[in-house]
Amino acid sequence: MPKLAPLTKLILTAAVSVWALLIPTLTGQMALAAGQLLLLAFYRPTGKHWQAVSGLALFAALLAAIQYVFGSGLEFSLMSGLKMFVMSLVFVFMLATTRLQDLTAALVSQCRIPYEYAFMFTSALRFVPDFLEESQAVREAQACRGYVFRGNPLKRLMDYVAIVEPLVLRAVSRSETMAMSLELRGFGRKGRRQFTADVALSSPDYVAMIFMLVLTIGLAIV
Amino acid sequence: MPETLLNIQKLVFAYKNAGQTLAEVDFAVNTGEFVALVGRNGSGKTTLTRLAMALIKPASGTIYFQGKNTATMTPADMACGIGYVFQNPDRQIFRDTVAKEVAYGPQQLGFAPEAVNETVAWALSMTGLTELAGSFPRLLSRGQKQKVAIASAIAMQPKMLILDEPTSGQDPWDAQNLMELLTNLNQQGITIILVTHDMEIIAKYATRVAVLDRGHKVFDGTPSELFAGSHDIAAWGLLPPTAVALGQQLAGVNAQNETELVQQIMSIIKGRTGDYA
Repeated sequence: MPKLAPLTKLILTAAVSVWALLIPTLTGQMALAAGQLLLLAFYRPTGKHWQAVSGLALFAALLAAIQYVFGSGLEFSLMSGLKMFVMSLVFVFMLATTRLQDLTAALVSQCRIPYEYAFMFTSALRFVPDFLEESQAVREAQACRGYVFRGNPLKRLMDYVAIVEPLVLRAVSRSETMAMSLELRGFGRKGRRQFTADVALSSPDYVAMIFMLVLTIGLAIV
Repeated sequence: MPETLLNIQKLVFAYKNAGQTLAEVDFAVNTGEFVALVGRNGSGKTTLTRLAMALIKPASGTIYFQGKNTATMTPADMACGIGYVFQNPDRQIFRDTVAKEVAYGPQQLGFAPEAVNETVAWALSMTGLTELAGSFPRLLSRGQKQKVAIASAIAMQPKMLILDEPTSGQDPWDAQNLMELLTNLNQQGITIILVTHDMEIIAKYATRVAVLDRGHKVFDGTPSELFAGSHDIAAWGLLPPTAVALGQQLAGVNAQNETELVQQIMSIIKGRTGDYA
């Protein structure tokens, strides 16, 4: 599978969202989902990424079920669920196959987004696994003090609220430390910034972009 | 005859995408012991204690606690018998006052409200935190936070306490305070397993030491036996305590801790003074 540049993947992310809105049929949405899964499979993602896909699929099914229960038609409910699934699946593809520093470099050097904003976006993504790790640590601490992860969903939700506060406090503390560490290493300094990441476009990127453009125009006309 | 509290037999464990972390480890701890678990980073110390607490499950081997196989037990089940104190107290404190934090365990175990209050008062008094009962735990010093973690663990009235490097990052005064607290708890009947890198602490406080090296238990005996000079402890990533290292440089001195070193040097000095008298 040819290596695509981060910019191409960013454009793909936007394009897939547009396609999901333009495709009017259930079969078309399913084909779009299948295409994305196939594309993801070509890049040999890890088990964690497939877990994320399973989570998204479950959430989409839940969304469709809720729509159906509250009076929407079956086809409309399935369409809503599928649209949510394909729009978020493309983010899993982008994050699974792109390094965050490459993404920052592409946002700054090719999309002309100010470095501070691009860094903020990619740092927020970087915090997700940290957050999950912290959450796991608090849950382990609770388990060691006799908490059993069982019971009705309301009890579980209330118990989860108990760990939100320490998680938020830790996130703030960690972001403060990170901010200081960044400033101590020249973050925010005026002048030219050098990226070591190679995010230049190559021929597979141009081919992919032409394909995306043609498909978008085609779907808009049809 | 002391009861065997924790009995680990032929324990094997490996993390995903990593080599074997523990290889057929046998390890038993009797009631009332103060055991230090040592070894270089990555030797499997924390993994062994996490397995004992059922936070992770072994690939093979058996763990018995008070004679019961813990294979199907959860950490919550184990919490009735073992109190676990994590290395970083910040990661285990999640309530907004010290008293509420300490009360969490007894509440989970279903203690009556009066019993919860009594237990919390006792745990706070044991750890010297009574004055800080209403404080916000995150604003305390690291030493105080570690005491909150210990108070939270002993509030569940466990038979055994496992502490993962509790003195790391603490100043010498806090560390000594903490070790005196643990000695006091041990004297009151709580069995202690202490994961540590601090050889001074082992020499001074532990009654037994187990050394892990690359997932294997390579030594199990008293601190005196470990530091006697008959084992190549440097090969296991360990350094002798200062008193032992100094004693090894002095003829006629074979001290295992500071007290013994001073006594033996004083005895030599007195002997020589006697020769001249």
